[in-house]
Amino acid sequence: MNFDQAKLLWSLPWDADWVSAVSFIGPRRVAAGNHLGEILVWDLPENPEPAPAPPPEKNKSGSGEKSERPLHAAPPPARQLLGHSNVVNRLVCAEDRWLISASHDHTVRYWDLQAAPGASAKLTLNARTIEDALRSKSSGRKPPAPHEAEVRTQPSAKTLEGKEWIVGLGLNQDRSTLITGDDAGQVTLYDRAAGTELKRWQVKGWAYAVALSPDRRQAFVSERYPLVFDSGRHTGAKLWDAAAGTVQHDLSKEFKNMQLAAAAYSADGSVLAVGRGGEADGTSGKVFLVDPASGKIQREFNPGHLNGLTDLCFHPDGKHLLSAGRDTVVRIWSLADGKLVKELGKPRGGQFKDWIHALSLTADGTRLAAADMAGHVHIWQLGS
Amino acid sequence: MKPTPFSGHCRPHEHISRRALFKAALTTAAGATVANWGGLFNTQAVAAEAKKRGKRCILLWMNGGASQIDTFDMKPGRPTGGPFREIKTKLPGYRICEYLPKMAQQVDKLGIIRSMRTQSPDHPDGIYHMHTCYKQSERMPHPELGAMIAKYLGQTDADLPSFVRMGPTGNAGAGYLGPAHEPFSIDRAGKLPPFTGLYSPAAGEARRNDLLRFMEKEHQQTNGADAYESHRLAKERAWRLLRAKGLFDISKEWPQHESLYGPTDFGRGCLLARKLVQAGVPFVEVGQDNYDSHADNFVCHKANMQVLDPAWSGLLTDLERTGQLQDTLVVWMGEVGRTPNINNRAGRDHFIRGWTIVLAGGGIKGGVVYGSTDADGREVAENPVSEGDLFATIYTVLGMNPRQKHYAGTRPIWATPEGSKPVKALLA
Repeated sequence: MNFDQAKLLWSLPWDADWVSAVSFIGPRRVAAGNHLGEILVWDLPENPEPAPAPPPEKNKSGSGEKSERPLHAAPPPARQLLGHSNVVNRLVCAEDRWLISASHDHTVRYWDLQAAPGASAKLTLNARTIEDALRSKSSGRKPPAPHEAEVRTQPSAKTLEGKEWIVGLGLNQDRSTLITGDDAGQVTLYDRAAGTELKRWQVKGWAYAVALSPDRRQAFVSERYPLVFDSGRHTGAKLWDAAAGTVQHDLSKEFKNMQLAAAAYSADGSVLAVGRGGEADGTSGKVFLVDPASGKIQREFNPGHLNGLTDLCFHPDGKHLLSAGRDTVVRIWSLADGKLVKELGKPRGGQFKDWIHALSLTADGTRLAAADMAGHVHIWQLGS
Repeated sequence: MKPTPFSGHCRPHEHISRRALFKAALTTAAGATVANWGGLFNTQAVAAEAKKRGKRCILLWMNGGASQIDTFDMKPGRPTGGPFREIKTKLPGYRICEYLPKMAQQVDKLGIIRSMRTQSPDHPDGIYHMHTCYKQSERMPHPELGAMIAKYLGQTDADLPSFVRMGPTGNAGAGYLGPAHEPFSIDRAGKLPPFTGLYSPAAGEARRNDLLRFMEKEHQQTNGADAYESHRLAKERAWRLLRAKGLFDISKEWPQHESLYGPTDFGRGCLLARKLVQAGVPFVEVGQDNYDSHADNFVCHKANMQVLDPAWSGLLTDLERTGQLQDTLVVWMGEVGRTPNINNRAGRDHFIRGWTIVLAGGGIKGGVVYGSTDADGREVAENPVSEGDLFATIYTVLGMNPRQKHYAGTRPIWATPEGSKPVKALLA
């Protein structure tokens, strides 16, 4: 795939709060969750309208870089998924049908996107911008016109209850087993279809990034307890025997003082990728490749994301890996040599940049979705 | 133009006091200029009266500045609210953060000031200001709360220091009150510094100390400067402390108290503070790091609150159980609050326009929530409280005169700035 030809198709606006999670549901549908616990689903049109012409340039004294403009006009969201009451941390999808979410509200929820939606509701997609403008009247900023949309609402089909913020969520390669990790340090494996618990174990800190190997035999769990100086502060990274709930390899020394925010196994299970999150210094938000059999670090990708990595995923071509971070960019890396192949997006913000919170790829790897904290879901075409 | 201290541009009426102050100043061996405390004060009667009341104070210092919106002044459903949820407390209608469940059951003991409006927005100046109630820029070396309490509530002949602090704490020291009231600092888990160990066998150490006393006395008589006297005083205090150092060892008590205070350094510090005030130390400060969450505010606060909640509630429970709570004021504060706005680092920055401090015990009326902020927590809505008002409240509760006058040379300096008033609604 020629990533040089990547182009931004849509920037879907939704500024109610930070957009924190995203997942494709099949090739033409995308879902995103935000910090309020809301989830919206968009159906991406086969024949999209061209993006409207940009407003005329005003004379600006600033030297900030311009954001890339999408090719197409953003479609309105189609559904609003109801149930969560707090931050949506991760979204994953199975069978191009089931959307599964993990939240600060201590629950994992399932939605059946093939089910008929319910009642309609109206949303204002730029509600926060309007509210901010109204609050700071003295700035002279005029509130924009409301960007309204009508959606069909849908309650969750299934809820798995936890006792703390559920931050880590993942599926194995065949989507048969779900893994979650929470701030009580509980790591749980579920039969994905039935929603029944298969195995549970406790880690020392808060479970942060979790990943399950394709054969379901091994799990990676990173841990954190982010105190600053108290002797109770803790970070950890371990490979677990998922059947026994016992440690196979403790990587905590290799990743000393690193909060690993994201993890994923390659499709064949031969490589584990982990990424350094939290607010890391400088460009140390790196991706590391680990040999799951030995627990040894094989490679690290440079430069890391400025101020920390937030998410990563393997490309279905088996040759590339994508990462996002607290620098508003998505990077595409070559697995073979660790070289940066392409960077999507531009750093945005002041001294500290805005975050791309999460990534999702379609099954064929031709499209990428990215959750932008500023209130957008960006959809790129990576190749045909 | 407002004169800058030491700038040479001062108004005529200031000349006498400034000159007197300079005359009264001396330079220590370390090169720092400090007030010459000899004969400056006329406060023995006040101190004697305060000591009679047997009051104590423990300051729980939230270094970096804890977020009011994520603890005691929550804004659920507002854009500034953040992800923490409220829980009920013992006080009907008043809710606090879900990660302070034990403190929710102690609210009937608390006087909660939700309307702190202060002046110093950064760390060094905020730490100074919230420890002294004076701006750091004034240059006059004001004493910390602990030093002032040590002066008025401490026993000069006690083996124990009267101002103990551990972990991250104040930065002002005893200021114009002089070296007799300087803090004795220990590490965050209550471990004593290495110099408190004996250098040689006890009998030899005693002979060494006697010789040093003799030499210091001879030298002082010959040279006459107070710096030598202050050095001698410090050594005498250290020797007295060595006799009582066993009190700082909580290793035997800790297994029985760990579940109450929580298995943390800060929890250990709180137990040691309780033990020290019980033994007669009038002021102990215990610092907890680090609330300065410009980034990742919510995980930072969540982790910190999981340390704070058992330690603070355990301390109040233990003080009550041992019959000390009515005489021991427990203050919970940091140098600043945190912004209502959440920045693009998932953090909250420094905020001084409306934040929260909590008092308990020692004569504070429990179950009182004083003042409020607006819907988003951006401004104080009612009953603003200044640094001086807070200190006036603390001093009043402890039986000290908040307008106590001290002198540096001929210059009068008050314990709290002019206009400071205690918050009467918090006084039992």
